[in-house]
Amino acid sequence: MQVKAVEAAKPVQAEEQTLYEIRRKIYPRAVSGHFASARWAMVLLTQLIFYGLPWLSWNDRQAVLFDLASRKFYIFGLVFWPQDIVYLTVILILAAYSLFLFTAVAGRLWCGYACPQTVYTEIFLWIERRVEGERLARMKLDKAPLSAAKVGRKVLKHGLWIALALWTGFTFVGYFTPIQTLLADVFALGTGPWETFWMLFYGFATYGNAGWMREQVCKYMCPYARFQGVMFDPDTLVITYDKDRGEPRGARSKSADPVKQGLGACVDCGICVQVCPTGIDIRNGLQYECIGCAACIDGCNQVMDKMGYDRGLIRYATENAVKQHLDRGGMFRRVLRPRVLLYTGILLAVTIAAIVTLAHRVPVKVDVIRDRVPMAAGSGDGRVENVYRLQVMNTDETPRRFTITVAGMPGLTLDSRENPVELGGARSRMIPVRVNAVPSAGVHGSQSIEFTVKAETIGGAPDPAPLVIVETARFVVP
Amino acid sequence: MSTQKLIHILWPAFIVGGVAEAIFFTLFDPMELTLFGSDVVASRTTIYSVGFFCFWAMTASSSALTCFFQRTAAEINRCPIPDPTQRPVGCPKRDDPNACCG
Repeated sequence: MQVKAVEAAKPVQAEEQTLYEIRRKIYPRAVSGHFASARWAMVLLTQLIFYGLPWLSWNDRQAVLFDLASRKFYIFGLVFWPQDIVYLTVILILAAYSLFLFTAVAGRLWCGYACPQTVYTEIFLWIERRVEGERLARMKLDKAPLSAAKVGRKVLKHGLWIALALWTGFTFVGYFTPIQTLLADVFALGTGPWETFWMLFYGFATYGNAGWMREQVCKYMCPYARFQGVMFDPDTLVITYDKDRGEPRGARSKSADPVKQGLGACVDCGICVQVCPTGIDIRNGLQYECIGCAACIDGCNQVMDKMGYDRGLIRYATENAVKQHLDRGGMFRRVLRPRVLLYTGILLAVTIAAIVTLAHRVPVKVDVIRDRVPMAAGSGDGRVENVYRLQVMNTDETPRRFTITVAGMPGLTLDSRENPVELGGARSRMIPVRVNAVPSAGVHGSQSIEFTVKAETIGGAPDPAPLVIVETARFVVP
Repeated sequence: MSTQKLIHILWPAFIVGGVAEAIFFTLFDPMELTLFGSDVVASRTTIYSVGFFCFWAMTASSSALTCFFQRTAAEINRCPIPDPTQRPVGCPKRDDPNACCG
């Protein structure tokens, strides 16, 4: 038994060690082509938005500001309060269904073109190429013994990486703290402790993920990479190596006739492997490591052009298209299948519903909270007093005047230190009010009353259509 | 503990901790929370940040327990000294070269 235990223990150890392979550093080769250009266009677009957006102004404030310190999110003309959490849910639903839709149609488009991991890796690789040279030069440099030139290049590369990472961290925090003030604070070395911490934290994450971790983030850390496969079906466009056309692969001279030599179109040059940022061989079929960047398509097409062969040995194709030898028309007709139509329908419906509700949002909110302290029993004339706090919120950026009235019981009077009350844009205030009533004989317990709050815009012409909010509350008669 | 295991514990905990943080502080305003009956004096930014690390610590302990319970019986029973001759004097398996080192 004991010996058996020894044997049982060994495979466990071995398994633990092979759970992840030892990582070999990947030196992706630079590639050009349609897909590489598309990816660079996306890098520029997404980063123009990310780095640029916090600098825009709107209504004399930062156009996009997630002001956590005052619990308000400003997005251009809109102000979101914690009560608007439903819109956060809507955004999450839209994000999820967009991902489902894109994945069902053409696989990991998000990963290949828009994911920050891909985008920053692309930018960091670009810096690496500028400093250390192309693939072979970089491999040679890493193998070379330590020298002043090597140290110089490495220091320059990491210096540039760190500078970009810090700027990224600064921009990130600039979405939560007004960025103009933040910049002034940075230069005065006067940022708050948590601002400093989160800038360095995000900067470090950028530097680590895009400079060092790279494809490992996609392979081991990304949840989407693990489950994206379930959204694929046989009509999903994925990056495919055409085995029928390519095999048997083999080297040959450009002038040779591959048919006579018994060869397929694949010249086995290995470019598709060299350009792959995750280091896989697409000729082994679809693998979960493939982030759908299409670098292998660009690389292979260049080789096919040089050889004078047709492009598309590696191309976007569907499982059905390859099996049934469909032409492009036949393949693209299958894009409009029930699953895709369903996702599109849900996306459209949720988007329209969100726009309609946003457009009809009432820019005023009132919450009534009855004070739990026992109500005064009156002064012998039968009057009963209840105390309330009214949370009045002016949710958009127009200043308003709020007038509070109360009704629902005989002899109701309202006593408040402030009434009407004026509130600036995106402000809220807690207003304490005392309500007195003279209940009829025999009336006891909880009665229903109504607070009516009329909100008029101020600062211009009289408001032609003031907003009226009615909130019910309980009035307790002892 | 290997770095790999540390990442296994910290990374999923980071994701879930972030989600928990977002949900909790969307629903509750830190300014309205009390700590042992008295108001919290720190700024919202501080409470959010400290709150995140508390959530992360909790989710990380959950991940750590998962890893801890994943150990097999063989791993738990294994003697930490694989070489029998290195075992302390008096150990019944010290002189037996075929003794269990599992």
